Order: sequence, then C-alpha cells, then structure tokens
Amino acid sequence: MAAPSTHTMDFFERQDQARRSTRRLIAYFMLAVILIILSIYIAGITIFFGFNVNADPELPFQWWNPDLFLWITGATLCVVVIGSLYKIFALSKGGEVVARWLGGRLIDSSTSDPQERRLLNVVEEMAIASGTPVPSVFLLEEEKSINAFAAGFTPADAVIGVTRGTLQILSRDELQGVIAHEFSHILNGDMRLNIRLIGVLNGILVIAMIGYVILSGTRTSSSRKNGGGAAAILAFGAALLVIGYVGVFFGKLIKSAVSRQREFLADASAVQFTRDPDGIAGALKKIGGLAHGSRIQNPKAEEMSHLFFSDGKHGKASPFLSMRNRKPPVQTHSAFSFMATHPPLEMRIQRIDPSFDGTFPAVHFPSKKALETRDPKELAASAAQTAAKSAASAPSGGAPAVPLIPMIPQQMTQLFGKLTEAHLAYATLLLAGLPSRLTARVREPASARIIIFALLLSHDSKTRRAQFQLLNESKDPLVSSEATLEASTLIDRCPPEARLPLIDLALPALRTLSLSQYQDFTGLVEELMKADQKIDLFEFTLQHILRRHLDPHFNQTRPSAARYGSLTPLTHEISLLLSRLARAGQDGEEQAQQAFAQGVKELKGSRLKLSWLEQEDGFEALSKALDRLNRVTPLLKRRLLRACGVCVSHDDQVTLREGELLRAIADALDCPMPPFLPGQTLRSAEIPNSKSQIPNKIQH
Amino acid sequence: MTSALIFLVVVVVFIAWVASMYNKLVSLRNRFKNAFAQIDVQLKRRYDLIPNLVETAKGYMKHERETLEAVVNARNQAAAASKQAAENPGDPDSMKGLMGAETALTGTLGRMFALMESYPDLKANQNMAQLMEELTTTENKIAFSRQAYNDSVMGYNTRCSVFPSVIIANSMGFNQAELFEIEAPAEREAPKVSFS
Repeated sequence: MAAPSTHTMDFFERQDQARRSTRRLIAYFMLAVILIILSIYIAGITIFFGFNVNADPELPFQWWNPDLFLWITGATLCVVVIGSLYKIFALSKGGEVVARWLGGRLIDSSTSDPQERRLLNVVEEMAIASGTPVPSVFLLEEEKSINAFAAGFTPADAVIGVTRGTLQILSRDELQGVIAHEFSHILNGDMRLNIRLIGVLNGILVIAMIGYVILSGTRTSSSRKNGGGAAAILAFGAALLVIGYVGVFFGKLIKSAVSRQREFLADASAVQFTRDPDGIAGALKKIGGLAHGSRIQNPKAEEMSHLFFSDGKHGKASPFLSMRNRKPPVQTHSAFSFMATHPPLEMRIQRIDPSFDGTFPAVHFPSKKALETRDPKELAASAAQTAAKSAASAPSGGAPAVPLIPMIPQQMTQLFGKLTEAHLAYATLLLAGLPSRLTARVREPASARIIIFALLLSHDSKTRRAQFQLLNESKDPLVSSEATLEASTLIDRCPPEARLPLIDLALPALRTLSLSQYQDFTGLVEELMKADQKIDLFEFTLQHILRRHLDPHFNQTRPSAARYGSLTPLTHEISLLLSRLARAGQDGEEQAQQAFAQGVKELKGSRLKLSWLEQEDGFEALSKALDRLNRVTPLLKRRLLRACGVCVSHDDQVTLREGELLRAIADALDCPMPPFLPGQTLRSAEIPNSKSQIPNKIQH
Repeated sequence: MTSALIFLVVVVVFIAWVASMYNKLVSLRNRFKNAFAQIDVQLKRRYDLIPNLVETAKGYMKHERETLEAVVNARNQAAAASKQAAENPGDPDSMKGLMGAETALTGTLGRMFALMESYPDLKANQNMAQLMEELTTTENKIAFSRQAYNDSVMGYNTRCSVFPSVIIANSMGFNQAELFEIEAPAEREAPKVSFS
C-alpha cells in the first residue's frame, strides 16, 4: 500500500532526493526562461516589423535583429533574476513569513480555547515523537475550508498552518493524520524545495505583472500625441501579459512535476505512521464532502498552492468536481490535471483506503451553537480514547527506562526522521506524565525561561549557590531562585528523557520574547553555565540547541545555502567533535582514544587525516564546528552521525545519558532523532534480558 | 542601448528595494500585534480572577458594598476596553482607552486591598491568599508581556521614522503605534499571610 520508496529510503536519502529535485527545478526553470525570451523576442520583432512596414512597405521581414535580441535577453534576464532573488530573499526569513503572508494568526502556546488546545497537543505529541522542535502553529481564520501547510527551511524554523475548517471540522484522529502529513513534509526536506519553488517562479510571474502594469498604464494615459508609439507600447504590454501567463503556465508545470510525487510520499509516510489510515483518509474524505472543500480564499494562496495539504480546487466553486453522491467511483481526469500540484483527491484516498467507493460524506460546517456545546464532551471523550489507545499500544514494560540501550550505528540512522506509531504512543504518554504545572509553565514565555534555568542547575551545592545568586540578582521579579528551585523539583519528578522534550516544548513560547528580553535570557543562560567553571557536555548541547533554534528567529540570520559536498575541508571540526564525544562516552583516556579510532574507522576517514585532539576548555570551538558541520549534505551527515554513535557507545551499547547526548548532537545537525523507547532494541539480535544486573556503565 | 538596460536594472532594483522596506515594516508591525496578543492573554486571566476575588471578599466585607461594586464595574470596563484594543493593537485611541481603564481598575483594587487590612479574618482566608497570589503572578506576567510589546513597538516606530523607510512609511499607511504604559501602581502590597 505504501509507496515502496518509503521502505528503502531513509531520512537522509529522502532529504538528498529533495535536494536533487531542486536541481531539476532549476533546470526546468532555465528552460522556461529561454522559451520566454524567445517568445518575447518573436513578439518584439513582429511588432517592430509591423510598425516599420507601415513606413516602408518594401521592407523585407528581418527575423534576426541582434540589438533587439540582446536587449530583450538582457531585460528579461534582469527582471526574472531580480524577481526570483527578491522573493527568495524575502522568504528566507523562515516559515513565519509565509504563514503571515497567507493571513495566519499565531496560536498562543498557552491557549485555553479547547479546539486550539487540542490542535497544539497533537502538534506537540508529533514533535516529541519525531524528535523535532515544536513548531509554531498559525491559524488561517478566514478560511472555512479544510487545509493545512508546513513552511520553513529546516525543522528548526518550520511552522505549521491550518485553516479554521481544519480546526473545527476534523476529529482528533483526522487532525493527527493531517499534521502527520505536514510533519512528513518537514522531515522529508520538502519545505526548502517548496520555498525555492515559490521564489524561482516569482521571477516568471513578474513578467506578467509588468505586462499588466504597462497595459493599465497605457489605457489610462490620456496622451494621444504619439499615436503610433503608444499603440506599440500597448501591443508590447499585451504581448508581455500573454507571455507572462505562458510563463505562469510553465510555472505550474514545473510545480506539478516537482511536488506531486512528494505529496504521495508525504501521504504514505503519514499513513505508515498512524497505521490506522482512517485519520488521513477521513480528512481527505471530509474535504471532498465539504462545500468549501479545501479552497483557500486568499489570492496569495495560488502561488503557494503546492505547500498545502490539498490543492484547494475542491468545493462548490470548482467546475471540476461534482458534489456529493453523484461522484463516479473512478476519478475524473480534468483537462488540466497534468498541471495539478497534488494528485487527484480520489486517487489519494484510494491509495490509502482501497475500499473507497467515491462517495463523499456530507459535511457541514458546525454551527456556532454546536461548536460551543460539543467541545468539552467531545474533547474529554477523544482524550480518553487516545490515552486508552496509547496505553494499549505503548511498548511493553512501563518500567523505568532501561539503563543500557543496545545500538548499532547503522540501525540507529535508520530511525531518523521516521514517524512510527510506537513513538507517538510514547510521546503521548510522556506528555501526559509530565506534571500539569510544568506543562502549563513551559508554554508561557516568562515561565518557560525558568524551566530552562532549572535544567541548568548544577548538582554541586557550591555551584548551585552561585547560580541562585545570579538568579536573584536579576531585575525581573519573575526570575528568582525560589521559582527556579520549584521548577527544578517538578523536573526531578520526570524521567531523565524528558529533558530534551521539555526544551522542545519551551521553544514556541520562547519565540514570543522580544529581542531585548531574549538577549537578557541568553545572557543569563550563559552566566549560569559558566558558574561551575566546568561545563558539562550535555549542558553545552542544551545551550547549543537553544541558540540554534532561537537565534535565527531573533537575529533573522538567513540559513546559509552554502553546502559542503565533502568532508575534506572539515577535518578539524570532525576531529574536534569525535574527540569530545569519545571522551564524554568513555572512562579514561585510553578507552577514549580507542573509541575515537573506531569512530574514524566508521567514518571511513582514513584519508581525512583526523587527529585526536587534547582536552580543551570552553565550547566555543565546538559550537562553531557544529555550525559548519550542519552545512554538510544529508548523506555525509549520516556518515558523521554513525561515527558519533560509535564514539559514545561501548560494546554496541549506550547509556541513556549518552543516548540523549547523541540526540542533542543530531538535533544540532538538523537531523531529528526520535526518542529512545523503553525496551527498544536497535540491534539485529536481541540481547538477553538481564534487567536487574545491568550496572549503569559497562565495565570493560 | 546599454544605457536603457542599465536604466531598467536600476528601476527593477529600486522597486525591489521599496518592496523589501515595505515587507520589513509589515513584519515589524505583525510582531507588535502578536506581542499585544500575549498581553491580552494575561489581561483576560486577570479579569477572570477578579470576580472570584470579589465574591470571596463579599462574605467578609459585608458593609463595603460600594467599593466592591466599583471594582466589578472597573473590571468590566477594562475588559471591554481590552477587547477593543485587541482589534486594533497599537492604535493610539484604543490603547489610551485601555490604559485608562486599567489604571482605574488598579485604583479600585488598591482601595479594596487597603480596606482589607481591617478584616484580618479575610486576610487569613486560604482561598483569598491563593487568589491574591495568583493575581500578583498574573500582574507580573502582564508586566513581562507589556515589556515585550513595548520593545516591539519601539522597534517598529523607530523603523517608521528612520531614513530611508520613513519615506514610504506614511504614504503606505504605517503610523506610529502607541506604547502600553501603566502608571506605577500605588504602593499596594500583597498582604502577607502569616501562620504564626
């Protein structure tokens, strides 16, 4: 049922495929530009000739006019290139820009509106299950249809948007299906591709715009003096407009060529994840049955149609879909279906639910009264249902996490970017198990900071005193040692694997800080870390994650496009990372060096001249190293992560702490690594289950 | 011909430049509107707390009906003002309306708390103490989100008045936004409940 590609391709390969699609996109685009230039030239030469022949009827038709050709080529290239670059630059500020463009309103992370809360819970569960930072969620309030999108360059700056229809019409299961689909886009690397698409195509659209401007300009112009010239301009403007629309046509072709396959892929990934296909199939069926379908009213949605869950063409206003039960079981091919950005709705449903007979359920937008009375009961019922389902399907052994996790690096990387039902069940349970006071605090900006401070509190009493003092010196009345201590007590009641998820949960609230508040916050984080003079590697990764996920939002630094195609220029960075990890993972210098050597072997880096680096203080260098390593291509990242896995493991096993460290490093490289499940085996052969005797660290 | 080409390039670049300035202004404006939404969340909490506070106090302060009613009225007015401000965040009139209503509310609350001093039973009431605690926390959160809002308003206002965006700001409808300042609440101390 699922497309075979999701079974054979892992996260890194899918990301790589998205990158290669980008190259195809550029190729099509260049082809389109060439064709456009030729079209404009032909239009230009015809007009040019047309007017000259009036003056001199004997003039032979000259096809080739080098000056004109050069001029047109130059002008077109300028317009298109600048148009595209501008759009790409504008969109480079991250997914939030796209969301607002479409009229989205940020949903407050501490919202008490039951439906918004339900949506945010679903998003949080999915983020924790896949190991991604929790994205900000935007609501397209004016849109009654059912649709959703994900936008952004990396999982770190991703945002999700949903329409009001999605919020109010879908059940929790169906919501999960749709959100899972969007997360698949995030994890497959589609978003960067999609944003590039918008940017690139914008250049072509600009030509049509210019034609339009010229036309409306000459129409309103009252000057009739230069009759012939004005007519020429008018003709040229009209020609530009036509050509521009031809360009738009090409644009749609390009979009569809690139994005349709990815839609199937995202559907398939989402279904694999929920295993119960009713969720996403149900959502698709409701789209078919709703009068509004998935139509987005906002005119800007057209250029972003490929970002959406459904192509926005269904619903009453569309002539291509007949409504309700009169639908034949076979999908209709409309004349323009080859230009569609999404596979036809019926085909999508049939791939997921083969028993679909083509009839859509009648779906009505819930009345205001119905919304108000329905919510508490439905929510309670569905929440109970979800909890029961999770408990039933949760990995066996509700016992506290096994201290040792068997792991072979090759199998470890198989897990990346994968959404599985077991992980979702685990995430739901983890979230439900957190003290409600803690979850309430982590969703509000002021108190989320306190949670972060609490995570940095040291266990050494002297250091702790120094940290308390720093906290009390703060001018902010909400920041105090008591508040932090209280938060710390709450955190101690949670399992250790809750630390990374807590950070991920805090991110949406922290993003709403003002710039100066953020600067104060990071300053205090820095001082708290320095308090013990000696920074723990795990603490460092916490800080690095914070910075990686929040800095771009505040400083609006553009994600750098420069990619390293090979590891050779990065030998120093790799040596640094592996040495550090080896030392953190092993006891004793000798074992560490051995682990390092094994890591190098795993990396097949004998030609890379990696060298063991002595212990150094401070993490500045490592921080910069991680930033640079993050720009390596996906397949190389996989090699790197495997080597990291080898460095921290002993005899193919890792402790939980080391596992979390690995997850943090993976996060720093924008590769979401899902949480470790209790009792999980990342190994082909089962190890004998000897729970009680396993010490915290293996003795060599 | 090359000069015409150069002219075209200049025109296109200029348009792109103007467009990017416009977009920057829009994004700064969105930022402060968002920040206002954060304040709104906390204000709502405050408005929800106050009726509970008044109810609890009523049982003890039986002869202070006027003061209690004043609190409830002030609270209702502030709630209405905040709803209006939420529809036009940063608009000087709505903001001033909200600030005025909030100051009035703080004033009436202050008087109520001053009166509470003469009702030691009320001060010792557990429920009351908890509500007061929540109120203080909420007010701290309001202050925090106000700060965020004001920071973003300043960012936006600065951008509006600085060269070169100042050229297009006014003509494109970007007006200065109003800060959310509240007069420092008169020394109102949360009553310290002691169990000695």
